[in-house]
Amino acid sequence: MNVSHDPLVWFAALLTLSIFSFLYKDNPFYRFAEHLFVGTSMGYWIALTWHNAVKPNLWIPLVKEHNLLYIIPLILGLFYFLRFVPRLNWLVRLPIAFSLGWASGVAIPAVFQASIIKQIQGTMLTPTMFNRWDTGLWSVVILIGVICTILFFFFSTERRGVMKPIAQIGITFLMIGFGASFGYTVMARISLLIGRMQFLLRDWLGIVQ
Amino acid sequence: MRIGETLLKIDRRMIYLILGIAVIVPLIKPIGIPVNVMPETQKLFNAIDQIPPNDKPLLISVDFDPAAMPELYPMLLAILRHAFAKNIRVIVLAIWAPGTGLGEMALQTVAPEYNKTYGKDYVFLGYKPGMTAVMLGMGESIRGVFPTDYYGTPLDSLEMMQSIRNYRDIAMCVSLSAGTPGYLEWISYAGARYGLKIGTGVTAVSAADAYPYVQTGQLCGLLAGLKGASEYETLIERHGYSKAFKPACQGMDSQSLAHLVIMIFIVLGNIGYFLTRRQR
Repeated sequence: MNVSHDPLVWFAALLTLSIFSFLYKDNPFYRFAEHLFVGTSMGYWIALTWHNAVKPNLWIPLVKEHNLLYIIPLILGLFYFLRFVPRLNWLVRLPIAFSLGWASGVAIPAVFQASIIKQIQGTMLTPTMFNRWDTGLWSVVILIGVICTILFFFFSTERRGVMKPIAQIGITFLMIGFGASFGYTVMARISLLIGRMQFLLRDWLGIVQ
Repeated sequence: MRIGETLLKIDRRMIYLILGIAVIVPLIKPIGIPVNVMPETQKLFNAIDQIPPNDKPLLISVDFDPAAMPELYPMLLAILRHAFAKNIRVIVLAIWAPGTGLGEMALQTVAPEYNKTYGKDYVFLGYKPGMTAVMLGMGESIRGVFPTDYYGTPLDSLEMMQSIRNYRDIAMCVSLSAGTPGYLEWISYAGARYGLKIGTGVTAVSAADAYPYVQTGQLCGLLAGLKGASEYETLIERHGYSKAFKPACQGMDSQSLAHLVIMIFIVLGNIGYFLTRRQR
């Protein structure tokens, strides 16, 4: 056992234990750690935003380099604060409209290409997929899964006749997908616990390597 | 019936305690469960391994914060060790603001292990806000987006950056992603638009969503959570690229045992449910 002499490690370890104490029940130690985290995070974000966003992208060009074009984004940005002035709060729509217009124009073609066109291509059956029996089989399974799942969300007709078994196959694929996602979520949460335990046992108490 | 009711009324604190023990015990006394490498991990390893030494650099985007550190930080260390051992030059940047400190810490840990020089073998660009604007802008000109590195040094004065203008001069990008922006934005803006080869390491929560992009070839490889990190650590050790401590592998025994405990509780909960359902 090689306990750390670093006061910062001790502070981090005690904060970790304070957060874990919530598993038993709510208590002042937990609330102290939670409030400290929220406050520190906010302070960190403000400092980071100033040094990485506002200062290099607005303050220096406008104030030090006297580039007056930067007054336009400054005014647009300040409009966000007019939400607190009831008579002028309609002006907040201008920067929101600008941001939405720009972001939609950039995102729609890119996301359409990456997440729709390419994904549809991925479901198509080509002769090369059947060069090996396993890749061919999985390609057919993917195609059936995609079609049945999309038809499950087709609400314009009643689920009767041929639509009923198709929808049932679709929901089976959905449930398998949810199961896989849940399994990965459990793995993720346990990983976080392992990370904290490694810190407590290795960095703080020095019990493990 | 009493058994069924007892099973449904297990105190949640008892479950936490048992789970805690299942995680702690293997850390103190490792079981040594072998790590099997999944094809997606092998693909990413091969993609990085095929980058010629001292040629086009590998771009690593630190798209996570300390909350995802247990899963993604071991991946970052392992990929850096792989690249440096193969003399692949590396550019690290952060699309997430809190990733700045993590990226710098990883470089300061791994670079001295392989005697790598800043500016010649690797560069740290730091964080720049504006997600899509950053990714699209770098496709036209990296200098346009990052006139200086994280330390304020102009890129032109760094030896390694002299020949690097945009994505055409980069071998591939690995996004270590804990959410948005992350690998999906890299695929959409850098992959689809500029043809940059993208690989990723993701938290286990988002792994299921990433698999379709491996199947279509939009991702050249995928590391899924702590398991993916342990597989990559195993691969670089197996190929003789690193003998460093493997934090993800250390955690995998605990992971397996914790999963076993959770599965047992799920089964017990279901048995309890079916036993009491008859009574109702």
